[in-house]
Amino acid sequence: MSGDLTLTERMRRHFPWITLVSVLLVVGMKDINFLAPENLVNLASDFVPLLIMAVGMTFVIYIGGIDLSSQSIANMATVLATISLPALGVGAGLLVIVAGLVAGAVSGVVTTRLKVPSFISTLAVGGIALSVGQYASGQQALHMDMAQRLHAFGWLVGQTAGIPHALVLALLIVAAAWFIQVRMVPGRTFKAIGAAEPAVIASGIRAERYRVLAFALSGMFAALAGLVFSVRLSGGSPTLAEGFLLPAIVAVLVGGTPLTGGVGGVLNTLIGTMIVAVVRASMIYFSIPATGQQIFFGVVLIIAIATTIDRSKMRIVK
Amino acid sequence: MFELKNVEKRYMGVHVLKGVDFRIDDGEIIGLVGENGAGKSTLMKVMYGAVQHDAGSVLVDGAAVNFRSPRDAMKMGVGMVYQEQSLIPNLTVMENIFLGFEKPFVRFGAIRWKKMAQAARRQLAKVKLDIDPATITSHLTFAQRQLVELAKVLALEERVEGRLVILLDEPTSVLSRDEIDLLFSVVRALRRRASFIFVSHRLDEIIDLSDRIYVLKDGSVVDVLDARHADIGTIQKKMVGRDINTEYYREDRQAPYDEDKVLLELDHVRIAGRGNDVSLRLHAGEVLALVGVEGSGREPILRTIFGMLKPEKGTLRIRGEPMRAFSPARSVAHGVGYVPRERKVEGIASGMNVFENMTLSQMRNYSRGGVLDIGAERALAREWIGKLSIKVPSEYADCGNLSGGNQQKVVLAKWRSGGSEIILLDHPTRGLDIGAKVDVYGMIRDMSAAGVGIILVADTLEEAIGLSHTIAVIKDGEIRKWFNCQPGAKPSLYDLIQHMV
Repeated sequence: MSGDLTLTERMRRHFPWITLVSVLLVVGMKDINFLAPENLVNLASDFVPLLIMAVGMTFVIYIGGIDLSSQSIANMATVLATISLPALGVGAGLLVIVAGLVAGAVSGVVTTRLKVPSFISTLAVGGIALSVGQYASGQQALHMDMAQRLHAFGWLVGQTAGIPHALVLALLIVAAAWFIQVRMVPGRTFKAIGAAEPAVIASGIRAERYRVLAFALSGMFAALAGLVFSVRLSGGSPTLAEGFLLPAIVAVLVGGTPLTGGVGGVLNTLIGTMIVAVVRASMIYFSIPATGQQIFFGVVLIIAIATTIDRSKMRIVK
Repeated sequence: MFELKNVEKRYMGVHVLKGVDFRIDDGEIIGLVGENGAGKSTLMKVMYGAVQHDAGSVLVDGAAVNFRSPRDAMKMGVGMVYQEQSLIPNLTVMENIFLGFEKPFVRFGAIRWKKMAQAARRQLAKVKLDIDPATITSHLTFAQRQLVELAKVLALEERVEGRLVILLDEPTSVLSRDEIDLLFSVVRALRRRASFIFVSHRLDEIIDLSDRIYVLKDGSVVDVLDARHADIGTIQKKMVGRDINTEYYREDRQAPYDEDKVLLELDHVRIAGRGNDVSLRLHAGEVLALVGVEGSGREPILRTIFGMLKPEKGTLRIRGEPMRAFSPARSVAHGVGYVPRERKVEGIASGMNVFENMTLSQMRNYSRGGVLDIGAERALAREWIGKLSIKVPSEYADCGNLSGGNQQKVVLAKWRSGGSEIILLDHPTRGLDIGAKVDVYGMIRDMSAAGVGIILVADTLEEAIGLSHTIAVIKDGEIRKWFNCQPGAKPSLYDLIQHMV
């Protein structure tokens, strides 16, 4: 009787990549040029910031929480990176990463210690991060000095053999996150917390610390996403990363990490982000207006949540 | 008349009910007995509509019915008095009695409370309970709430045609002797109005109250007895399918414990929220059973030892070292293992495989610099799968899909492989079939032989007596009486029960 899974459960695991292949084929049939390698590489590199943010968010959703602060942290990161670039150079990157880590950790502490549900604690921390960005920028768009940008982050904007360096960096980050998830103690603990937190506590693990860590990692990845975005656009503004949050959550959930946590993970989010990227690009091919995109993502999000959550873990939804 | 014919039920491939036939006549009181895991609760759920059977039929007065929810069952006169009471504590008694059936009292959208109170009083009179229907339910005693719950089910009378069938699930488990007598007299007086199905672990009560007794074992009805001619011994034999004897609990393997080696000591520990004083000593190789009725305070003692509750006063020593911090992490680091009662919630992480579960408490030993050595983890899992003959296809099997017995073996392997020397067992055989129970008993003997100290809160008194070296009888959170429990000189059930209630 062990390993006794129903067909739908076994199918569920394969949904994400089947979806990806399907949407690729649909768009490819509309216009075969879409499937040209250089087009796909360009598309992928456009979605590097979203991918980094979604990978970070995966950790929080993996433990059964949610992070609504990612977009605001990324916004704050673009401002901080731009402001500190003249003084710190490459150190601006480090500053931004630490800021994201701290913001995420605050969400984590508020959630675990004060027992504020993560959707509200991260919303609050996101509000704070947004204000920090607005205050630091004086509510306006800032620009990086070209020479300073090239000197500090030139390695991020170039290409080698047609592959953008930013894409390479993103894939390295995915690989690192994947290693944390499958081979390291924190990743295993995240999975266990998502699967059965009471069992984790009863095994003598200080689950609270790991929950804080998951939020801190998510904050850090969000800041990193902001940094990459800021370098690409050569500037910062408290609204630069607007419109990232919904697609990032969609990417995680469509990829197959349900809101209830415990299954899925970083590689799923990689596929989920690709689905989001292809779907978004397809809107141009099918000439859907940009204003309609959020409607589409809202609908996809609801479908993705409804089909992936493990209802046995939540008996009453409020 | 209420009948079940050839009812079948499977959960996730487990055959829980195997062609059950059941019949209750008007005004009859039927006793339903069986061990944990025999399928009693599933059978009851089918009867009152909480679970739908896969095959067979349910008949009310000869007509086939199909209950899709408890409300459907109630409309046909089948009601359930829940063991974990289903009343909503912050509502009044009358609101609870008519919850979901307020319609007759509504005029212009508002409830006429006076009319409802009158109707509630009529229901309460049926169970001889003289309380104000406007009392907030949480202010009642447990026994009063039980009667209110019964009154709530009896209120169906006015809404359905024909007789009621009322299910009583372990109604006596937390009642005192007087309260039990009162409940029984109410039930007997109500036979004119309803028939009752009575589930209890207390076989003497079953024999006392019922007309006929259905014995359930492994999902089948193994016998139907006339209560007038039944005795506890025969019922037990039929429930277990063999004589309960010393062999069952492996008493032959009970060796004396090491009196010089104290593993754990509670020195006048005051358990949080109970305001009482507990002292005990656990020795290497000893099985110390805590017995008492449900809610007597056994679990809080276990949870205090495991660090989930912080004692208000007193000292807890592990191998002589007084503990200052209280958390499960501290306890695990000091070699304490906890096999919780809620195996599927706190014991097993379902969705994770066998080796991930086994190393959950000891990842530090299977990692370097935070990087897990999965090869070593798998080797450990394979070793213990062999040692405890855990039935799994491989160490990659999801523990959530294992049978209860195999899950329990994984939990035990987690603590044993980590070298825990003090193991707290909270209902370790709950819901296991006989074979798995015997395996667990064997493991307890193995652990004793290896010098592990065990504190046991057993599923049944027989189990506590059979397995332990020492028994502490707990009442109201305090240890009332100690029993020495050497093979051949074990106390009887009666000896223990006297001090429990």
